Amino acid sequence: MDRMSEISESRASLQETMTFLGAIASGLEEAIGESANSISYLAGKRLGTRLSKGIEKTDDVEQALCSVRKVLLDNGCLWHFEAFKTHDRPEMVMSADDGQDINLVFRDCMIRQTLFKFGHHQKGSLCNMMFGFFSGALQNVMGHDSTLEILHAGENACYKRLVIHSAAAREVL
Amino acid sequence: MKLEISVHEQACRGCQMCVDVCPTKVFEFDDEKRLCVVKHEDDCIACLSCAYICPSGAITHTGYHVVKNFYRDLAFCNKMEKFI
Ligand code: SF4
Ligand code: SF4
Repeated sequence: MDRMSEISESRASLQETMTFLGAIASGLEEAIGESANSISYLAGKRLGTRLSKGIEKTDDVEQALCSVRKVLLDNGCLWHFEAFKTHDRPEMVMSADDGQDINLVFRDCMIRQTLFKFGHHQKGSLCNMMFGFFSGALQNVMGHDSTLEILHAGENACYKRLVIHSAAAREVL
Repeated sequence: MKLEISVHEQACRGCQMCVDVCPTKVFEFDDEKRLCVVKHEDDCIACLSCAYICPSGAITHTGYHVVKNFYRDLAFCNKMEKFI
């Protein structure tokens, strides 16, 4: 089989898997409500932890994000993101009450595409999978908990706020 | 290619839906002209929510990344494969 049909075939199976996941998530939301979020979060966290096993540690947020991006790329996950700073934000990474925060833009996202295909709404339980993934991967890279909050779920890109909770910030909270 | 946003002045009805939906506050409302203006183009993340929500179809973006539709059409994927 040539490379192109190999890629097409793996994309086709990924498409099927994501479609299946979308249906499960939507069904779960209906059946068990809020708990569906925790299930997706935990599934994402397990994936993030497993795929980033043995990754090089760093305290630098931007470097940690490069590592997470590499983990996603190396594993063929279509979840591209970039750090984003608006004109009125003094620094890319800033200190907040709950830790260090940085805003991220997610462009190509296999979850969004799946949701749109079947008319499921955004910000549902499947979107929590990315939050889990970051939590798992960043725990391995930086040794801290993190939160990925969806600020805006758009048709062509999503805007999120990532907070890395340092031990000191947790004590304050 | 740099992202650019344009608002068609004759089409804009001044409803401010774009101002409300934009997550990065790209638009401002011009009280005198009674229509919205692009104020911080560089802050646009190209989510396209403003273009989708505008009832007059007055907002156009150019030079932005269009999300890959891999999960919708395999024939499209096959065709696009050589470009990506
Ligand atoms: S949403 Fe459209 S019509 Fe309403 S203010 Fe914005 S550009 Fe004008
Ligand atoms: S595309 Fe999104 S970020 Fe850009 S101006 Fe419209 S709503 Fe704001």
